[in-house]
Amino acid sequence: MDHFARLGLPAALDLDSGALDKAYFAGQRQWHPDRFVAKPPEERAKASVEAAALNDAYRTLKNPLDRAVYLATLKGVELPGDGKTIADPDLLMEAMEAREELQEADTVQAVDGLAAKVRSDVDTALNGLGGLFLANDKPAIRKALLRLRYLDKFAEEARARRTNIERANSERSGA
Amino acid sequence: MAYSEKLIDHYENPRNIGSLDKGSDDVGTGLVGAPACGDVMKLQIKVGADGLIEDAKFKTFGCGSAIASSSLVTEWVKGKTIDEAETIKNTDIAKHLALPPVKIHCSVLAEDAIKAAIADYRAKIAKKDEAAE
Repeated sequence: MDHFARLGLPAALDLDSGALDKAYFAGQRQWHPDRFVAKPPEERAKASVEAAALNDAYRTLKNPLDRAVYLATLKGVELPGDGKTIADPDLLMEAMEAREELQEADTVQAVDGLAAKVRSDVDTALNGLGGLFLANDKPAIRKALLRLRYLDKFAEEARARRTNIERANSERSGA
Repeated sequence: MAYSEKLIDHYENPRNIGSLDKGSDDVGTGLVGAPACGDVMKLQIKVGADGLIEDAKFKTFGCGSAIASSSLVTEWVKGKTIDEAETIKNTDIAKHLALPPVKIHCSVLAEDAIKAAIADYRAKIAKKDEAAE
């Protein structure tokens, strides 16, 4: 059973976040271990498998990028897994230049500026995905998702860079 | 997790960080990425008139093992012919740095980067030969 089916939701990129939460909480109640303490072991085991699968489904669908990647794999889009490399020059050049800019940003304001730009790029790219899924344009979906992975990584690195700068600043003012 | 001394040395004192002129005819550039972990690696070689790699530079945004793998490769390829450099295997890199199994993919990235740089250099030479005819 796929994650969407498990939560009784249509397999689509756009997803009603309230409906997702509601379905998840209902499922959690249904498979809660407290309800199975007096049940035979095989039923207890089944409940724990169901609860774990439910958590996995919820986590994946809650995050927009994870949801898009998951939906893409359901549609047969192949994405490079761990240890697989790509050589797409446009995409990698963009990622390399962004990371260089981040490396050179030495104030919190500069980092925030770069992070804000990337956030808006992420929003634009996520919005554009809807149309690509409708058209079932697999190569374009693949490319957009790979780019989103790099944008996501950038956001993570920007948070780390910001923390480092703040720490250095407070050490300086404390000294 | 315990990392080898060689790995830590390459990570803390990376060799040959930087860039060569991408537009130059004697420079080959390889740009590769591992999207699953968000790593991106650029590796460049400069080939002398004698056919030997006289300089190599890299720039890697990724984990310590990816940085160490690319640093090691730039060190290894200097003074080699491109045919020799092409024979570098990710397993050699992983073995030399004693990469833990979960980090083997970082050495794959470095092997792909040097191969891509060599392919870029060869394509430039082929184009130049074509133009000369």
